[in-house]
Amino acid sequence: MRLRPRHVRTRLTLWYVAALAGTLALYLGATLVFLRVSLRRDLDEGLYDAFERVEDLLEAAPDGTIRMGGHGDEDEAARFVEVWSTEGGLLYRSEALNGGVLGRAPSERSLSAPYASAVLRGGVPVRVLTRRHRIGTRDAIVRVAVSEERPQREWRDLLVGLLVGLPVATLIAGFGGHWLAGRVLRPLGDMARHAEMLTADRLDDRLPVDNPDDELGHLARVFNVALGRIQESFARLRRFTADASHELRTPLTAIRTVGEVALQEEQEPARYREAIGSMLEEVDRLTRLVGSLLILSRADSGAVLDRRELRLGELAQQAVSLLEILAEEKGQRIEVYGDPGVSVSADGLILRQALINLVDNAIKYSPRETAIRVEVRAEAGDGMVEVVDQGPGIPEAHRERIFDRFYRVDAARSREEGGTGLGLSIARWAVQAHGGRIELISDGKGSTFRVRLPAARSGAPEKEDG
Amino acid sequence: MRLLIVEDEVKVAHALQEGLEREGYKVTVAATGEDGYYLLDTRPFDLVVLDLMLPGRSGLEILATLRSRDRAIPVLILTARDAVQDRVVGLDTGADDYLVKPFAFPELAARIRALLRRGRPELVARLRVSDLELDAAARRVTRGGRDVELTLREFELLEYLMRNHRQVVSREMLARDVWKEVDRATPLDNVIDVHMARLRRKVDDAFEAKLIHTVRGVGFVVKDTKA
Repeated sequence: MRLRPRHVRTRLTLWYVAALAGTLALYLGATLVFLRVSLRRDLDEGLYDAFERVEDLLEAAPDGTIRMGGHGDEDEAARFVEVWSTEGGLLYRSEALNGGVLGRAPSERSLSAPYASAVLRGGVPVRVLTRRHRIGTRDAIVRVAVSEERPQREWRDLLVGLLVGLPVATLIAGFGGHWLAGRVLRPLGDMARHAEMLTADRLDDRLPVDNPDDELGHLARVFNVALGRIQESFARLRRFTADASHELRTPLTAIRTVGEVALQEEQEPARYREAIGSMLEEVDRLTRLVGSLLILSRADSGAVLDRRELRLGELAQQAVSLLEILAEEKGQRIEVYGDPGVSVSADGLILRQALINLVDNAIKYSPRETAIRVEVRAEAGDGMVEVVDQGPGIPEAHRERIFDRFYRVDAARSREEGGTGLGLSIARWAVQAHGGRIELISDGKGSTFRVRLPAARSGAPEKEDG
Repeated sequence: MRLLIVEDEVKVAHALQEGLEREGYKVTVAATGEDGYYLLDTRPFDLVVLDLMLPGRSGLEILATLRSRDRAIPVLILTARDAVQDRVVGLDTGADDYLVKPFAFPELAARIRALLRRGRPELVARLRVSDLELDAAARRVTRGGRDVELTLREFELLEYLMRNHRQVVSREMLARDVWKEVDRATPLDNVIDVHMARLRRKVDDAFEAKLIHTVRGVGFVVKDTKA
């Protein structure tokens, strides 16, 4: 199982510490290597100087042996010296070596790589320089060594110091990182706590934005915007629930009252029939209302469109043919104009419903003896349908909410006409489900409902906000 | 004709029983899926009206078992769910027809008649109610021997009413069967009323005996009240 710390703060600290320790270790390692190389170079340079001094001191005794001349025995450089004959016999060994050796007998190989390391009897590390030298009349091989004890000790002390210091430094940096991460994350924690306290009843609260330009300020702003939307949709839901229960209560009240009054005293059968019929009419209204609500609830959960290439003009003509008898009754003229070739990719049933609702609306709210025009055209590749009436228009105050569920300009009149107050909501949903837009243009001399449907199959439908 | 109604809602079950008995059927009511299943197993019925939402055994289960035993008895399902998926499942399981609650009683009666009639040749070309005659083949309507000029829609409307002679038809049935409008939310009631008023003017206005009647809150019926 992989261990994964629960808190972002711990994770951040661990990452930070790991990165820091890694970097430090690399850096220190490189430093140590460099130092070691440079110490040895210095030592080798000193060794060379010592060799040259020893060369001057060595002399051949009359008996053929080799000895250190002058006060050579007191010279520090002459402490570790060996002289070998070219045949491989030992000619001289300094006293300080105490009978120990500076490695095996020198060979051609040790002459080609003159510097070497060795360890004396007694554990003293030395650097050895081996070279050919002429002493008196004979060739000899001279080896001089200097102790490497001191630079090695220095280096080792440094290594120990660093090995102890690295974890300590990392630990201190870790605490610092932890503190820093906590400081950076604290506003996030504050925001989370603040958000936790928000409930459906307290959605008007907002997160404080300290600095709108930094990342946290950005987060707070985004959160606040989302909160605003939630608050809005809660408000809309509340309004909708209130409206819906009102709409349902109206026919229920009628059913109840009519039934109660009918049963108050004995009556003619005809009166009973009248009462029951009246109650059934209200049931009809309820049924229609529930049907429309069902359409919208299905719309809310996202409808699947059965798209086909359709001629917009034909669809408009169908809607008009279905309803034109109503216009006829009111002496209204209703006509479809425009380009019959305009086609869109749409779900015919759903789009037709939208057009029927718009035309029905126009017939219902236009006065007698006026004209209603349904115009189909293409605009910038988009399919357009306009339903234009010569009615009283829709006052400015109502335009904003005219597509809202149950919103009515004149509630009493609309109900009398048998409207559910959902027709335009359904129309808007149907259009938006196709990625289109529906808008109302009203200038006091009639209303125009304009539907714009994108020509190409568009991706996600616009979010419905009604 | 013996009908079985499997419906747990007592009020609805009783109303259906009473209404269908008045139409001349012998009606048995089962209040649970178990009872319904037992009755179906032990007694002969000509048709079943089956509620899908039942306590105990669900309507769909009963239907599935019934069909797996290869019983060809017609089944009409009642469902409160209006989702297309539910209807499809119901019909796939072997239902012959379905009605979504709340339904209109005349519609249920008409569906039952249609299911029981199925398989028998029925489409009579000449319909007659009192002195009103309709020739479906010739598209001709006469009353008292005189031609009545009807638009295509009015003709279809009258034909539908006369085929359901003495049976009340609801606006919903007209919307679906004459206008072929599947969606309930389509605002067709006013359209139907206007067509109906015009049809009446042409068929009944000039005559003492009215044949087309409105049943308030329910729908329309064609019948000869004197007969």
